[in-house]
This record gives sequence, C-alpha cells and structure tokens, in this order.
Amino acid sequence: MKRVAVTGIGVVSPLGNDAGAFFDALAASRSAIARLGIAGHERLACPIGAPAAFDGASRFDPAKLRMLDRVSQLALCAAAEAISDAQGLLEGADRARVGVFLGTGMGGAQAADDGYRTLYAERSDRLKPLTVLLSMANAPAAWIAMEHGLTGASLTYSTACSSSAVAIGEAARRIAHGEAEAMIAGGAEAPLNFGTLKAWEALRTLASEDPEDAGASCKPFAKNRSGLVLGEGAAIVVLEDRDRAIARGARIHAELAGYGLATDAGHITRPSVEGQANAMRLALADARLAPGDIGYVNAHGTGTAANDGVETAAIKRTFGEHAYAMPVSSTKSMHGHLLGAAGALELVAAILAMERGVVPPTAHLKLRDPECDLDYVAEGARRAGLGAVMSNSFAFGGTNAALVACAP
Amino acid sequence: MSTLEALAALLAKEFALDPARLVPSARLEDLEIDSLRMIEIAFAVEDAFGVKIADEPAELMARVKTLGDFAAYVDGLLAARAARSPEGAT
Repeated sequence: MKRVAVTGIGVVSPLGNDAGAFFDALAASRSAIARLGIAGHERLACPIGAPAAFDGASRFDPAKLRMLDRVSQLALCAAAEAISDAQGLLEGADRARVGVFLGTGMGGAQAADDGYRTLYAERSDRLKPLTVLLSMANAPAAWIAMEHGLTGASLTYSTACSSSAVAIGEAARRIAHGEAEAMIAGGAEAPLNFGTLKAWEALRTLASEDPEDAGASCKPFAKNRSGLVLGEGAAIVVLEDRDRAIARGARIHAELAGYGLATDAGHITRPSVEGQANAMRLALADARLAPGDIGYVNAHGTGTAANDGVETAAIKRTFGEHAYAMPVSSTKSMHGHLLGAAGALELVAAILAMERGVVPPTAHLKLRDPECDLDYVAEGARRAGLGAVMSNSFAFGGTNAALVACAP
Repeated sequence: MSTLEALAALLAKEFALDPARLVPSARLEDLEIDSLRMIEIAFAVEDAFGVKIADEPAELMARVKTLGDFAAYVDGLLAARAARSPEGAT
C-alpha cells in the first residue's frame, strides 16, 4: 500500500477565499454567520447563514459563468488554489492517473431553485436552457477535470454531511492501491437559496438567531445550543502518492493516514454513538495509531441537540481517558455547516492546525452542558504541537466518516 | 440599430465575444459557438427580439453558418411576426 501525502490545499469559505485567510479567521475566533439578504429572506423564520464573500463574475467571463452554478464556481476556484499550492503537480504528470473525487450534498441547488421559481412562482415556461447541466450533482467534478485536463477517475459522492470526507477518504484509497498518482479531492456546497433554506427550516434543525449577536448563533456543545447554521463554500486538497511527492521535492502539508467509514443503520436523522465511534476506531486502525497519538479532533459539532451529546459520548468510547486530555473543537461555530463541503473544510482546518501549531476554538461556548464535558477549546485558539489530528463528519442517512492526518 | 448590430451587441455582452470579430462574414464555428452554446444563444435571442425559434439547434446550425446568416434568419422571424399582427409590429 502506498502512503498518501497532502500537497495542496484550496479553500473558498465564509471566512475567506483562500486557505490562509480561512485559518487566520478561525484562530481569531471570527464568525462569518450573519443575516442573509437573499431573495425571499423575509419569509425565513431565521434568515441567517454563513455566506462566502465570493463573486463569480469577478472570476469567470460571462460565457463561462452561464454554464456554472455557484457550487461549481466555488469548486473550480478552490481546486485552482489547491493545484497551484501543490507547485508543479501536473508538470509531466500522466493525467490519466490523476482524478477528481468530490462530495456535495445538494449539487447545483441554486439553479434548481431558480428553475422552480421560474416555473411555479413566475408561472413562466421559459426555463433556462442549461438548468440540467447547472444543477446536476457531478458538475463541479466535471468542470475541474475539464479545466485541468484530468482524465483519471472522476466521481461525485453524496452522503449528505459526510460527502466530502468520504470523497477524500475514497480518493486516498485510489492512491494507496496504486490506481492513481494524484487526486483532486474535496467538496463544494452552495445551499444559501430560499428553497433549500426553507427545507432545512421545515426540519426544525436550524439555529435560532442569537438576540445580541447573529454571529454567535451557532453554539456547538453549549447548553443553549439551538441548531446548525448553513454555510457555503468549497475545500479541495491535492492528495498525492507520497513517494512521488518526495521525488519531485513537493512541500507536504500532512500525510493522510487514516479513513474510517461506518453506518448507523438505525434512524434517518438520529445519530448513534456506536456508528460514530466505529468510524473513528476504523480511522485510527487504518492509520495504525493508538487513541493517545491524536492531538486534536475537529468535531462534526453541528450545534444540534442530537449531535453534540452523541458525538461527545462517541469520542469518549473511542479514546477512553485520552478523550479528556486532547482538545476537541467545532469550527462550525464560525463557518457554519457547509453540508457536503463540511468534511473537506474541517479536514483542512485540522491539517492547518497541525501545520501551524494552533488549535482553533469552539466559539460561543459559554454555557456548559453537563453532557458535553470534553475540552472544547472554548476560551479561544491555543498553541499546541500536534503530531496527528482527526476530523469527524457524520450525516443524515447515517454515513459516518473520520479522517486522520499526520505531520509529514 | 440593425438586427445584425443588435445581435452582435447581445453576443458581445452575454457571451463575452470580441466585438471586433462580430462581422457579417464571421463563421459561428470560428466564434466557438457549438450546438450547446447555440441553445443558450437561441434562448437569449428569443428574449431580446421577442421571437420564437422553432428550429432545433442542429437544424438552426445547418441553416445558419455566419453571423450575417443569423441576422437574416432573425429578420425572417421578425417579418413573419409582423405579418401575423400588423398593428402590433415593433
């Protein structure tokens, strides 16, 4: 089995449109959660979200832009940054051995929403001609492959909120098994449109707005947590055969050492301690690490009543006493829940934490919940030397994924 | 503004084509207008000129090879529309 290096990182996020800006904001406990000004916001019970300050018109010409849903725009920009960051990745590469694995929960949700508005609200039959191509879930991966001429395997995973963690884990396997020399892997999501927000609202899982500070509305692990806040963005990593990366003198951010996948098979939304713990245990085993080797866990930490207590119990079941000795934080408190892109963005947060020696905090955690009794880094970012980190991503539908990265 | 000028303006603005290349003899394939792009352009032309393009993209591209052909084609649609409703012609 080949070892897998992370040699490139790209981010378009609510907290900034490159990886460095994103992590700087996390370390400063800055929240991107705010009131939304989208069409129809006045009909939302709680019109908050974490939008990315990203204008596709400044990145693509009008002809290209017509073919790209926002989710593909975000994905293309994050992929470009990741490939550029992996300096020289494609020089002399056999592009048939480089593929694209992406995760997205909702694909081109904006185009779908626009189409429904045209049909049902405006009662027009003149639907945009490219609605199918804009909204299809595999469009972001297809555009990245086309943009960079990558003819290896291209797949799109949709396992709700673990989609991009799954995409990265599966991409790493392709490299480990020798089927690819590099993979562009990650996720993208653009759910901040009226229809998608209303659907989430109907599920009664969204946070209510904090009356004093909209930015503090998502409170993972806190007694007064009230739900998740949707965010948008894309996070992409370049995974590469470690031997190849070393041979070409690439800068290695981290080694992607472990991937664990386990299914709850219990309830469509309610998480299970066993399912989450199984994913973490399998990721540790895949990385050949002991629980005590992990220095930081970027939690799934949605801020919902259902997740945070169960995840805390699952971490304790997996790590035993070490659960109390290591920092665990939910950066969703600042960038919101990027659904299908969450796993990739949070793996990036964990890798950058290791690279910079800074553990990002869980923001807005003031009222302690007795059920959530770990070290959630509530007081703000802290310095720590980290040799290995874990990122958890769990999902409606019960597909639990955990990724482990080690210092290079 | 002539139909050709209006068509060229639309292609320049909405499809990022270089106005200098939008001359009557310009071949659509040289403007990188393929059948998929033609679907979008037909949609935009319908909106801009208030006409209905009944031809499928492949038929349209078989009949219309240059920008000049395209302008004549749109002129044909405008004339047919005017003939159907003389007092409503614009």
